[in-house]
Order: sequence, then C-alpha cells, then structure tokens
Amino acid sequence: MIEPYETALDDIPGAHPYPRTSRYHDAEIGVHRLPDGTEVRYAKRRLLPKLPDADNTAPHVVNAGERPDHLGQRFFGDPGQWWRIADANPVLDPRELTEEPGRVVEVPTPGGFDV
Amino acid sequence: MSEVPIGSGPVHLSLHMGPKLTKPVPPEVTEALLSAQITSTAGERSGFQLAFDLTKKSRIVERLLPEGFFDPKTRVIVAITIKGTPTVILDGLIVRNEVGSSNQPGQSTLTVTGEDLTLLMDLEERTDRFPNLAPSQRVERILRNYADYGIESRIIREQVHQPPREQLRVDYQSSTDLQYVNDLARANGYNFYLDPGPRPGRSTAYWGPEQRLGQRQHALNVNMDVNSTVDQLTFAYDGTAREQPEARVQDPRTRDVTLLPNPDIGPLRPPLGLRASPALKRKPLSGTAKMDPERARAQALARAATSADAISGSGQLDVNRHGYVLRPRELVGVRGAGVTYDGDYYVKSVTHNLRVGSYQQNFTLSREGLIARSDTVRP
Repeated sequence: MIEPYETALDDIPGAHPYPRTSRYHDAEIGVHRLPDGTEVRYAKRRLLPKLPDADNTAPHVVNAGERPDHLGQRFFGDPGQWWRIADANPVLDPRELTEEPGRVVEVPTPGGFDV
Repeated sequence: MSEVPIGSGPVHLSLHMGPKLTKPVPPEVTEALLSAQITSTAGERSGFQLAFDLTKKSRIVERLLPEGFFDPKTRVIVAITIKGTPTVILDGLIVRNEVGSSNQPGQSTLTVTGEDLTLLMDLEERTDRFPNLAPSQRVERILRNYADYGIESRIIREQVHQPPREQLRVDYQSSTDLQYVNDLARANGYNFYLDPGPRPGRSTAYWGPEQRLGQRQHALNVNMDVNSTVDQLTFAYDGTAREQPEARVQDPRTRDVTLLPNPDIGPLRPPLGLRASPALKRKPLSGTAKMDPERARAQALARAATSADAISGSGQLDVNRHGYVLRPRELVGVRGAGVTYDGDYYVKSVTHNLRVGSYQQNFTLSREGLIARSDTVRP
C-alpha cells in the first residue's frame, strides 16, 4: 500500500494518545460519531496477551502490606508497571494480586514480549 | 521485602539470534556479553558491534563457534527493556566476527560486527526495468520481495507527482536493490531506513520524508545542575551547508531552456527554528535538462531540502539519568543550551553504548534555523 503524501504525516510518531509505557499503547483507537456529528475518540477493548510460559516468569511470595504498585517498583523500577504483573496472573481486580499474604504471584521477566 | 529483585537494574538487554527465525540465546552467551554498540541513522543503514568474553573451555569456544552460531548472515535481534517497557533497537545480520586471543587472562574476546536487515537488499546486483511505474510503485515492488524476514513496508507517495510515460523513458535498475531504493529516495528528498520493532522479528521499511511533526520526545537537559541528563552538547552552525540548487530544463521541441523557480521546502521540512539560515551557495544541478520538468522539480526540491540542515548538535546522554531511550528519526526538545540553540531538533542518529552497569547514547541532532519557535518544550 502506498500512502498519499498529503495524509502521510497524519500518522506521526508519538501521536498515539497513550505513551509507550501504557497498556493501551497497542490498543486501536476508534471513532464514535454522535447524532449531532461530533466525533468522539475512544480506545477499543484491549484483549489480554497470551500468558507467559513458566520459564519467562519468576515466582514471588506476597508479604503482608504489599500492593501491586510496590511489586511494579520493585521488579520493574516503575510503580506504574503493575499492570504487567496483573496481565501475567490474569486477575480482574489488581488488588486481588496482593490480598492474601503468602500467595505466589508470577512476575514476568523483563524483555518478555507478549507475541 | 529484602529479597534480591529479578533484575539488578531498570535496564535489561535481551538478545535473540538464529538463522531467519530467532530465539533467545543460551545463558552462556548472555553472561559472556561484554558490550554492545548499535548505531542507527536516518537515511542510512544501522550497524552493530557486540563483544563477548572468551574463556578457553567455555561453551562458545567449544560448541557454538564451530557449529556456526556466530556465522555471517546469522540474524541478531537486540531488545532493551527500560522500566518494564520493551523496545527493539536492532534487527540485523552478522557480517564478520573476530576472535582475539590474548596471553593475558580475561582479555580474549569475540567481536561480532554486522548491519541491519537492509544488508539483504545489498547482496545481489540486479538489472530490472520498470515500465510505467512511478518511483513509489517501484519501491513497493522491490520491497515486496523481502517480506519473509518480517519486513513490512511503509511507502509515502512522492511529493512532486511524476507520471511515468513509457513512450518517453523506461526506468532501469542496474545496481543492488538497496542502492536503487536509496537513489530514488534521494531524488525525491526522502529517506529510506529500516525501523525495527515493535515486536522482535518484525520491522518496517520506511520510504518517505523525514517525519518532522508530532509529539516531541522527552527533552534533553544540559547545563542544569542535578537535572541535566546530557553530559555535554556541542552545536555547530555551518554556513556553507545549505545550498540553493538551480535546475534548468529544456523543451525537446523548441530547445528553449527555462530556469525552474526556487522550490518551497516548507511542506517537506516543517521549520523547527525561528531564524532560518540563508543559503550561501548556489549550485546548478547537472543533467536536469534531459529530464521531465516534474522530475527536475523533484530533484531541485530534494537538493534544497536535504542541504537545509545547517545546524547540527552532538552529545552524549546517560539513559539511566534520562529515564527514556532516545529514539532516532523523531523530534526532541533541548533546554539549557541558551536562547540560540534551545528548542526542537530532529534526531539524526543515535548510537547506543551498552556495557554492564552503564547505558550511554551518543546522538546527533539537526535543524535548519536558530532560536526556538515556541517557548516551551515537552519535559
């Protein structure tokens, strides 16, 4: 597909509303048209990536008082990355991860791509 | 919460190797990796150099080297994970490897050098004719042959429309695919490069204008005490870099020669500086008399646009302090360099220097004028 020159620069780098660190970075952006003609942009539903294999994760035993953002800071150096752990364990509510002390949480190792 | 975390720092490197289809390298190889240097430039091909530690009885010497694990044309993919966010920075092929054996213990190294996947396009000299195909269509036809290495193509139609006429001229390729695609890009003021990612094993071949629009990357801070992320930054203003091309075309019927008007490079290169540098040099383009007027116009525009970047900057960045990887071929803001040189720049090239415990990036920036256009940059 050859893109016409006029619209080529619409798809500019960094134009995605979610930054690279966000879980919605790969989400498709849809456009909803209201009855009065205004366009509303929204992120389409994000499907969970494939669960990582056992050799791509490391187990972590939850301590009392831990929160998902603690795990993010500890394993990734960024508290905002807790969603990677929630994705790998599939839980609906991130608080479920650390609710009971002693639960074993699978932490995805860095560099793992959800292909 | 006192256990040792999985990784020892927020930067992780993952290395995949293999013939065409890659897989993660065995742990012995990862442990032996001493340093990695990866260069990516806008409009040129990327290169890499990996250095491994060699010990006499290691698995690399005994098994992997003789079995051809590091042979030329082995594919190498390097991905960097910073704060949990993975980025693919290289997808390339090994070109040569060197083993340096030393009498000093721990000084023997294996150095692997290579280039990115566009090397595949540079291996075979080809002759081909392209009747009735515009430049972008020719590029599309060439790039279609390389899909099995996971190369997708993104091709932008040339800015000056050049309708092909088979009766007048049939374009002919007599070089390697890469040279021909690069020549076509140069004739239109475009760039051709391979962008690895977003997943390992995939990459995008881009043939189009430099993307000088959109959101800036996180700004580079210099001379700002503890907030500096850049160790040093040098700016140079080269007055003779910009030239004003003069293109003349001849009408084959009347033999009249006309001088084409000066092209406006604004659409191809949105200005980044407030005070554009003047063109000191004037240069007549050779060979334009024989061309169609559209093609001569494209050539003049390309020459004016690619020579416009009179201001260049270069420096070194500490990724651990900056917190983000600087990506080439995108815009970035600079602050702390004074009124003249602050503002947005196009990142021309980036060299990643990775060793255990340090990640430095050397970069070069460019733009066409002095003084920032806006009074803020993205922090």
